[in-house]
Amino acid sequence: MKSRKALLFWFSILGLIVSLTLLSSVLTPFEPNVMNMDEVYAAPSADHWLGTDHLGRDVLSRLLEGGKVTLTVASSSVLLSLIIGIVYGGISGYFGGVTDTVMMRLLEAFITIPALVIILAFQAFMQGGMWGMALIIGLTGWLVTARIVRSEFIRLKDAEFIQMAKMFRTPVWKILWSHLLRNSIPAIFVVTLFNFSSAIFMEVSLSFLGIGIPPAIPSWGNMLYYAQNDILIGAWWIALFPGLMIFITILAINFIGEAWKNPQRRRFND
Amino acid sequence: MINIVDLSIRINGKEIINHVEFTISHGKITALIGESGSGKSMTVSSILGILPRDAETSGEIVYQGQNLLDASDKIMENVRRKDIFTIFQDVSNSFNPSVKMGRQLYAFSAARVGDTVDVFNTKMLVLVEKLELSSDIFDQYPFELSGGMLQRCMIACAFYVKPALLIADEPTSALDMVLQKEFIQLVIRLNEDHGTTVLLITHDLDVVAEAAHDMVVMKQGSIVETGTVDTVFARPAHAYTKRLLASRF
Repeated sequence: MKSRKALLFWFSILGLIVSLTLLSSVLTPFEPNVMNMDEVYAAPSADHWLGTDHLGRDVLSRLLEGGKVTLTVASSSVLLSLIIGIVYGGISGYFGGVTDTVMMRLLEAFITIPALVIILAFQAFMQGGMWGMALIIGLTGWLVTARIVRSEFIRLKDAEFIQMAKMFRTPVWKILWSHLLRNSIPAIFVVTLFNFSSAIFMEVSLSFLGIGIPPAIPSWGNMLYYAQNDILIGAWWIALFPGLMIFITILAINFIGEAWKNPQRRRFND
Repeated sequence: MINIVDLSIRINGKEIINHVEFTISHGKITALIGESGSGKSMTVSSILGILPRDAETSGEIVYQGQNLLDASDKIMENVRRKDIFTIFQDVSNSFNPSVKMGRQLYAFSAARVGDTVDVFNTKMLVLVEKLELSSDIFDQYPFELSGGMLQRCMIACAFYVKPALLIADEPTSALDMVLQKEFIQLVIRLNEDHGTTVLLITHDLDVVAEAAHDMVVMKQGSIVETGTVDTVFARPAHAYTKRLLASRF
């Protein structure tokens, strides 16, 4: 039961972060992009809870608004990689044989290239905006999902209940959907969670390197990028809070995924 | 009821089943016995028409005047749906782990014979109670039930469908002794109450002695002995059967 409590705890942390960022347009006390040159580098106070940055913009407002951007990029890229991964892994695992061999060798070739390198090259070359980045993170992130889906399908497809379904001439789409995919959901869920945290990390890394989200849009990575100089003059609050948010979000996702990996949750025994 | 005539199965040029011939008599419990890898399950797969795609068959499996080996898909589907009920070895994996039992029991019973949900609800409830299962199982997932309970759910479906032939492929190997006995009693009851013909695949001679009328002994893809259980037990002719009988507790 201990792990259940921990799961609940991290779920509420993540839920809090997500709902705060989603409601950012209502919750933010200031316009995230409005500059106030009278209050440049203001330390956290009753007026500006988390202080202001080098252009006098409210850090709390930018933090919430930036969270929305970061999480949107991460979730849309994860959704894309999930779809590609399920289709690719599903075909490979269900049909097996030569199809499987060819598809898996191809996947292994892809997996040897670090995703960050591809994304860096693409971003530097295309100067892509927010959606371009989500697209490229999604296009490089499906490899592990595909592998997991494939192994789940292979594990399940010879099980008695699928044999029986085939015996009754259940349509293939129904076997794929309600027998194979449905029972692979726990594993897919876990790998998607880890994908999600790495997609957040990817957005942050790229923006931190200055080739991610365009500067006009606040994101957690962008905020860190501009905070590099501010730390030198002692404005710690500009970097600390986005850093903390990234840290806590990724930590929460990883803990949730870890709790879900628990073998006791498995329903199907080989 | 089913006549298997000179059945041979080859996979990739390798003989799995060699000129097998036996009869499953109507209204009787026939036990198919043999060690693992002797071709018992392959024989069953060929009756059901679910052999691997690369298998080549020769011979005949005659059911109601028709050779099941070259019956059309439509006929086979009908036979598998209504006439033959199969219970597989590993009952805990015979149910989809992520679907509640109620829906699965429906799919395994009423959907096969074309009953509506209402008919299913009334009929199945009676059966479930008869088999000493709680009606809560309809709202539970398979992994919440024990192996014995799942096996009883399966036999409840068999009672519902009242098939002409029940094929049970090593149904007791995953159960403990008490549950084994209980299950065999249920099979006997199905046979006696509804006249269901049973093909019982097993490697357990005690099960054979307890339940079966006829027995077929298989070894390495061939039949070594057939006959009624009483005669085979009293006067085993083949050396392998003698050894099997001698190894009983």
